[in-house]
Amino acid sequence: MSGISTAGNQSSKRPKSRPKFRSPGSSTTSVRSRVESETDFEEILSPQPRHPYLHLLQPWLYNMRDTPSPLPASPSPFRSSPLRPGPHGSSMSVSSPTPFTRQFQGTHPKLGTLDDDVDSMARRWVRWMAKANMRPWIAPLILGAALLLRWTVGLGQYSGYGTPPMFGDYEAQRHWMELTIHLPMRDWYFYDLPYWGLDYPPLTAYVSWLCGIIGHWMNPEWVAFESSRGVESPDSKTFMRATVLALDALIYVPAVFVFCRNWWNTRSRRTQSVALLTVLFQPALVIIDHGHFQYNSVMLGLVLWALNFFHAGHDLLGAICFVLSLGFKQMALYYSPAIFAYLLGKCFYLNGLAGRRLFLSLATVSSLTFLALFAPFYWSPLQPFIRIFPFSRGLFEDKVANFWCASDVVVKWRNMSIAATGGLAKLALLTTLLAILPPVIHLLRLSWLTRRSELDEEDLKETTTISSEAAGPAAVPTLSPKSSPAYSVPPTIRLLPYALFNTSIAFFLFSFQVHEKSILLPLMPITLLMSGRENMGKEIGIWEWGVLANNVALFSMWPLLRKDGQGMECFVLVFLWNHLIGYSPLRMPLSLHKLLALATYSVIAVLHLAEFTISPPARYPDLYPVLNAVLCAGVFGIVWLVGMKKQFEAGWAIAGLGGRNRKGRKEPKANASPGPSLSSVEEEKHGQDAEGGPSGECANLDNISSGRRGKKTKPDISPLRLRSTAGGSVTSNLGPNGL
Amino acid sequence: MATFSPKTAHKPLISSQFEAAPPPKRTRWLDSWEWDILALSTAVKFLLFPAYRSTDFEVHRNWLAITHSLPISKWYFEDTSEWTLDYPPFFAYFEWALSIPAAFVDPKIVDVKNLLYDAWTAVAYQRITVILTELVLGAALLKLSRGAVDRSTHRIIAASLFLHPSFIIVDHIHFQYNGFMFGILLWSLCMAKTGNKLACGVLFAILLNFKHIYMYLAPAYFVYLLRSYCMAPQGRFLVAPFVTLASAVVLVFVVSVGPFAIMGQLPQLLSRLFPFKRGLNHAYWAPNAWALVTALDRVLLKLGGASMAVNEAGVVSSSRGLIGDTVFAVLPNIKPIHTFLITIAFQAIYLTKLWRVPTAKSFLAALTLCGYTSYMFGWHVHEKAVMLILVPLSLIAAENYAHYRTFVIASVAGIYSLFPLLFTPAESFFKVVYSLIWGAVVFGSLSKRIFEYPSTLPSVIVHRLEDLYLYGFFPLHALVTFLPLVAGPRSGPRSEEASQAGSASSQFEFLPLMLTSVYCAVGLVWAFLRLSVLYLRNY
Repeated sequence: MSGISTAGNQSSKRPKSRPKFRSPGSSTTSVRSRVESETDFEEILSPQPRHPYLHLLQPWLYNMRDTPSPLPASPSPFRSSPLRPGPHGSSMSVSSPTPFTRQFQGTHPKLGTLDDDVDSMARRWVRWMAKANMRPWIAPLILGAALLLRWTVGLGQYSGYGTPPMFGDYEAQRHWMELTIHLPMRDWYFYDLPYWGLDYPPLTAYVSWLCGIIGHWMNPEWVAFESSRGVESPDSKTFMRATVLALDALIYVPAVFVFCRNWWNTRSRRTQSVALLTVLFQPALVIIDHGHFQYNSVMLGLVLWALNFFHAGHDLLGAICFVLSLGFKQMALYYSPAIFAYLLGKCFYLNGLAGRRLFLSLATVSSLTFLALFAPFYWSPLQPFIRIFPFSRGLFEDKVANFWCASDVVVKWRNMSIAATGGLAKLALLTTLLAILPPVIHLLRLSWLTRRSELDEEDLKETTTISSEAAGPAAVPTLSPKSSPAYSVPPTIRLLPYALFNTSIAFFLFSFQVHEKSILLPLMPITLLMSGRENMGKEIGIWEWGVLANNVALFSMWPLLRKDGQGMECFVLVFLWNHLIGYSPLRMPLSLHKLLALATYSVIAVLHLAEFTISPPARYPDLYPVLNAVLCAGVFGIVWLVGMKKQFEAGWAIAGLGGRNRKGRKEPKANASPGPSLSSVEEEKHGQDAEGGPSGECANLDNISSGRRGKKTKPDISPLRLRSTAGGSVTSNLGPNGL
Repeated sequence: MATFSPKTAHKPLISSQFEAAPPPKRTRWLDSWEWDILALSTAVKFLLFPAYRSTDFEVHRNWLAITHSLPISKWYFEDTSEWTLDYPPFFAYFEWALSIPAAFVDPKIVDVKNLLYDAWTAVAYQRITVILTELVLGAALLKLSRGAVDRSTHRIIAASLFLHPSFIIVDHIHFQYNGFMFGILLWSLCMAKTGNKLACGVLFAILLNFKHIYMYLAPAYFVYLLRSYCMAPQGRFLVAPFVTLASAVVLVFVVSVGPFAIMGQLPQLLSRLFPFKRGLNHAYWAPNAWALVTALDRVLLKLGGASMAVNEAGVVSSSRGLIGDTVFAVLPNIKPIHTFLITIAFQAIYLTKLWRVPTAKSFLAALTLCGYTSYMFGWHVHEKAVMLILVPLSLIAAENYAHYRTFVIASVAGIYSLFPLLFTPAESFFKVVYSLIWGAVVFGSLSKRIFEYPSTLPSVIVHRLEDLYLYGFFPLHALVTFLPLVAGPRSGPRSEEASQAGSASSQFEFLPLMLTSVYCAVGLVWAFLRLSVLYLRNY
């Protein structure tokens, strides 16, 4: 791995890159070793001779531990993992002044663990399971534990428990079950609107109907027409909780599993497992769905399935999933600009007939799905929409941590003259549009920049040709024919989660009628992104920001959770999750982020303490919720800006700062020669430099991994180059660091 | 620490020889690994606050009220609530100590007249006391796991005990303070292991004064301390240690029972502690030998029909889940004296062995067997008493594969036998999934360390049969879950109250319990035989 690229360039940032991936040549730079790398799989370990006097050297080696490496060029020989020592060639290198140190590091259980700095409960557990020879059990146990956690949270109270006459979200969902199984479809969107009239899109209604049928079969009293309003028996609660858990287990949990396996497919199994734990134990979603009571995991799960399908190249399936998610909860609209930009961008990327064909099929499939969802309501097609989009309501309802509510402390928006004419809605719409434009345009522009040349069309038809590398970031490590869907995945797929985050948080911050629970939408993509923790605790990355966003989001929902009787669960879940993923703001390197995080957590602690001890002054009964909203809106605003920055950086990693040189790309690259041609290396170096920026988790990833697997690292692969390297002699696989 | 001795862990004996490097110096109070277990278990326990609570919750709340608001002379006479104080005096003092903060948290908790009080403050306070007092168990386990030679294996055992489903089910859902008291027991065993036998005896005396069910274990303690502490290895009696130990133990009892003896309340105290008015079996038969005998009686009744002399009272008694006396229809009836004699006879065998081999390890096994015998043959045994077996048995689980196998069978059957304590659907899902995860992690990691393939044909067959038995719990659970749905009314909880109604459906409500009890009893009896043979042959 040399490939890795980063091992040399970014030594200061990631001196402890995973040793598993280290391949010959990371410290020695001879061409010979690079050629060997094709056959030297790092999984095959050569026996390391132990120094006969190792035990005598031990005290000295203990002291060696903290001294800086004498080898600036190879910063990480000290960090061989105990189980995977560096390969033969490099560890026996005479040039290394401390050969014994490395061996010692490789054998001592304490010093050799390179993960000490980023150690977390999740990593420790996964590592322990692997050592206990229980690898196949890791994933099932994680899934089981995730389900158990959800169910345990569900033992507590829910929204609107014991508060007649209206109760809360729980009663709304239960009421819809009752309503849908007892009324003909035409009345669904009209019946008794003041008492939790149906105001979600049709898929929710259909799912409610299905759950209602099952509930009716089990006990008709739970969903008896009219008379069951406010039913709170333990049995019915268990049933309702079980429906949430079942839908979660059927849609969201498998989607997360597939995501962690496929999206991080270039990472180690351990990282995948840790990612799975990180996402599944994310406290906000668990507590809102299983504590407060809602079905957000269905909507989010469908979006995640869409992302999984896009990543695998099945755009039409992905589009259907996304439309279904929209049809389940209109909140998924927050994601729609990003999804739209990605799909349109893919049409650009395919360039030409294929692009136009994809555009048409996407449009057809999406419209058909949409029509199918709404078709049963054809006699009053507008009513669902009137119910779904309540434009007649105010700018914001409760205190919510977005721009409007937070700035309302200073600028009384609702008292301004503009409010009387309904201008506020327009203002909000305009601001939102402005806020979502940058990520959308960025995504579209990148798709255009990385579009394939017309020649690709012909390649697509060559179904028999085997490419040695799927389209860069799609990175399906197996050999995939060029006609397979995975081949046509554009590099911008790596940007999609960033775009999802940026558009949804822009909606959250600036749009009209936002609920505090909508923060779940931005949280999902950022949690997905952070789950593959890349920077290993040496610098502030998306991981730290993701944890901060998650923790602050929980705090922003505190007034709601407290009202629901889920306050204790909230604390428990937050602390458990933070401990699980090994987050500690105190241990971070000093940076602006650290100061911000510490300040935020201190203010949160002070606010909690104050709320528990001092009741708010009579003049400002909403003092604590307002302070809460202001603080959280500020943090969300910063996270939003950071998210934009990350997206642009990831974009640079893909296409470079100045776009790409189309002309150069069309030239056939080096023939299948054993060494990389100068030009290709240069080009790779160019890409590498771009990534060298503070950037691009994702692109780095790809490079790391493809380097590890002895494959080419370029994200945007021209078919010509593919052809030149096809046939297995992929020797230009080394990153620039090899040089 | 979690990474320590990764490869050598599979062969404990060898690993201890080759651990050349001294263990890293402890710089922190708890290792990260220990923090993980603590965080995980605390999170689970907190999340279980709103879970189902049995009447034991009200029992303990009532005791808080009694000890707080009444003078000590009335503690054992108060009977406003039907849940009178029937634990030994140390537990009463313990409740008194807990009641002081309780009065600050919410004065209504400690009001004797305020029956069935279960406001959030009361629930949270009492649940928190369970969690905090369980740290005694945690501390004892830490001491045990850190002192062990094969640290990584003992760490698994310690963690498995701290997260044991029986503690979660009985303490943190059902509501009791077993974690605290087993903590004292483990401290005592720890002292035995480190050679501080005086402390070992004193701690056990204290424990006895917390909860008298630990009398099941007393014979083993008596024999062990007498032989190894009060006698020289050659058999000479040592007066000084004996006097020390005896006076210390007497002192403990004086502190505990003394005040009540002075007030002349001893008879009242004893009548509260030992109510001899109960039947052979509890409402839900604890899965012991008597459960098998009772089941055999039912089967004979069905098969034999009119051909045998049938006791009419026994026919009526057949399927009711009453606390009243169990009367056999076909087999001869059992009297308390019979159970007592059988228990003593079995214990005598193990104690003789312990007398001859008075090592700490042998003591642990004999202790387990003592508890096991009492559980198997005792009069009116509670299903919760199975913890007396499971906890000490866990400590010897990693001796070798035969011990491990015994541990697995007893644990699975024992934990499953606790399941009927939680009959509400929400907690049922929890208990099953939690136990499955616990079992997968503990059994999976332990079995890989000490696996030995059975070498002879009979042992292979036995091994297979045991596997079959263990897998049988899956169909059993399916049957137990769905039988009431199919046969009886849909939403009837299988509580004691419901079965007392005596309706036709109660038969179907009792049938799953009977099945569970009998199936678990088979495993527990088999594990009992296994452990007996192991102890008599191998120590």
